[in-house]
Amino acid sequence: MRLLERSARRTLSVIDAAATRMYGSAWNPVYQSGTVAVAMLLALIGTGFYLLLFYRLGSPSASVARLAADPWFGAWIRSFHRYATDVFIIAAALHVLRMFAQARSWGPRTLAWVSGLLLFGMGLICAWTGFVMAWDTFGERLAREGGRLLDVLPIFSEPLSRIFAGDGPVPSAFFFVNLFVHIGLPLVMGAMLWVHVSRLARPTLLPPKRVTWTIVGALTAAAVVMPAALGAPANPFRLPPATPIDLVVAWWLPISERLTPGAAWGAALVLSFAVLLVPRWTRRPREGRWAPSVVDPRLCTGCNQCPQDCPWEAITMVKRDDDRPTLVALVDPTRCVSCGICAGSCAPMGVGPPDRTGRDQLAALRDDVLPALVMGRGSSMPVVAVCCAQAPASHTAALRERGAYVHLVSCVGNLHSSVIERFVRESAPGVLICGCPPRDCVSREGPKWLAERLYNDREAELQPRVDRRRVRIAILAPGDRPGSVAAYEAFARDLALLNLPVREPDADLDLVCDPVPLEKVPS
Amino acid sequence: MIRAARIGRWLGAGIATAAALLAIVRASAAPVPFHDADSARLRLSLSARPERIEVCRTVSAEELAQREEHMRQRVECDGRSATYTLRVEADGRRIDETVIRGAGLRHDRPIYLLRDFDLSAGAHRVRVSLTRRENTDDDAAAFAPAESSGADTGIFAGRAQREAIERARRAGAAIPPRLLLDTSLTFAPRRVTIVTFNQERRALELLNEERRP
Repeated sequence: MRLLERSARRTLSVIDAAATRMYGSAWNPVYQSGTVAVAMLLALIGTGFYLLLFYRLGSPSASVARLAADPWFGAWIRSFHRYATDVFIIAAALHVLRMFAQARSWGPRTLAWVSGLLLFGMGLICAWTGFVMAWDTFGERLAREGGRLLDVLPIFSEPLSRIFAGDGPVPSAFFFVNLFVHIGLPLVMGAMLWVHVSRLARPTLLPPKRVTWTIVGALTAAAVVMPAALGAPANPFRLPPATPIDLVVAWWLPISERLTPGAAWGAALVLSFAVLLVPRWTRRPREGRWAPSVVDPRLCTGCNQCPQDCPWEAITMVKRDDDRPTLVALVDPTRCVSCGICAGSCAPMGVGPPDRTGRDQLAALRDDVLPALVMGRGSSMPVVAVCCAQAPASHTAALRERGAYVHLVSCVGNLHSSVIERFVRESAPGVLICGCPPRDCVSREGPKWLAERLYNDREAELQPRVDRRRVRIAILAPGDRPGSVAAYEAFARDLALLNLPVREPDADLDLVCDPVPLEKVPS
Repeated sequence: MIRAARIGRWLGAGIATAAALLAIVRASAAPVPFHDADSARLRLSLSARPERIEVCRTVSAEELAQREEHMRQRVECDGRSATYTLRVEADGRRIDETVIRGAGLRHDRPIYLLRDFDLSAGAHRVRVSLTRRENTDDDAAAFAPAESSGADTGIFAGRAQREAIERARRAGAAIPPRLLLDTSLTFAPRRVTIVTFNQERRALELLNEERRP
């Protein structure tokens, strides 16, 4: 499974890189895959309402043909509906790939994974019924295959396939049930979407407006310029030489038709169980990198910041069991994904995953990083690039080649502001904090909280005494290595213009940043 | 220089978007081959009730008197549904031979039959037969006399006659002991010819594009 995960990660980074090269990381639609799928679902519901007004159960293919022939709205709204379906499926598939590749499919995320797969499956069934509604040769082919597969199940006394045999007209009841499923499933999908994001503190449901409108505009243009093809009306007495198949939605159809119904069901069930069981196969022991956050009640001041910052609603404030008048943070390990965001949010450094709390970060800095950084460099300290561990290795290597000292952290949202201050205090000319593109953060909100803590006084804020000209945030987006290098070089150029002193003399401030041994903290 | 690079990037993004859209448009209606040019199909599709093989008796007036009024069925039958042998031949070659039973766990529901046989286009001699497997000796053709016994009055007046009509209707709607269609057909390329059961004529009949139901 790890091998599969690594392959998926490689595939995803190639896709990400290609999309970033074309659109830039801010516009990259691949980073928005989940939200694009939701936007397309809404667009499908909207256009579906219009199409429903003109759909006739008694003459399905004729009513759809009339819509397709309407040069004003009918043709392009129908085409938009079709293309939006394809984009929905592609975006949802990319979202699944991203979650799997980034190991975001297990533990507290299991509910989101399973509900997401159900959403994907319902989307496919909804698309299936939509194509059947048109009742052209493709719709008939899908309906026949559906009937063939359902007839082996002990559900219907009369084989469903007989409806399409041709010895009688296809009953309107069939199209009514089909329409009912086509309309009813999106309602279920809405409820399932709520379940899907129920464990997130601030779920992002839609892409940025400019991305949304760009996609909508592009699909509208495609619908107007290249209207979706409508096959010939279904005819049970004819064997069409070829059927215009939507391969995005019905890629499985040519395969399924070659299998016996039992084999097709077997393959579908094996595949479904395999993906549903991914959380079990990809789960990690909850230790080390994956250990849930812990709270040191002696350090917790009850400020209520970590519950606000936690993207997973894993922290609540509860009554203390000592005589201090404040509340104390409590981490629910079943909801904590070990992202470490809380470590960066806690001013007194009392919460975070083991070995990644603010205190641990400062201790590592003092014991390991700073000695190695200062050693042999005399008075010329390099620019420090604090990079997310998820950043592409080629980008961090490029920064090293240009003289930066690269310090890796599990996520920039995990980074405590005191670490930045400490680097500056130790005479690093500047600290460039290199995060992931905001919509591609495995911790969901790392870059957002980092910017808030640096520039908007969000707890645990970077102290005002730190010269903001010496601290900057950059994005290391796969596929945009020149952008990463340019950001570093621009920062280095700006730093050179500051004419900084070799080393700041005020050593008292070390006390502020140095970790206080636990035994000295008043209990 | 920066402006030129920006324009180039926008242009690239536009071309990439157009290419992606084109790919989606193409993929949304990719012509996937389905049937060969010389293929044709014989489809057997029917639903009909199998005959009932049962022993019937007229319930005596005393027995009827002991029952609730709404349960006073004059003739009681006990038995099972007939089974049939389906045999399909094309040009003298057997292409299917199956035992056909009624649907349901007790096989007392109608027979639902749907079979597709792929043939080459052109002339074929087709022979489809559906033959009851049970001997006629088992057949309870000798129904008990349908005359009324006991009271046939009150709110259920005329019931005995209605029962007789219903039995006759059921027997009339059932598949006859033997159905046979033996004919020469010319199958047009990529066309389907359907063999079905005509309830009114109680015989197998052919349907095609020109002769739709």
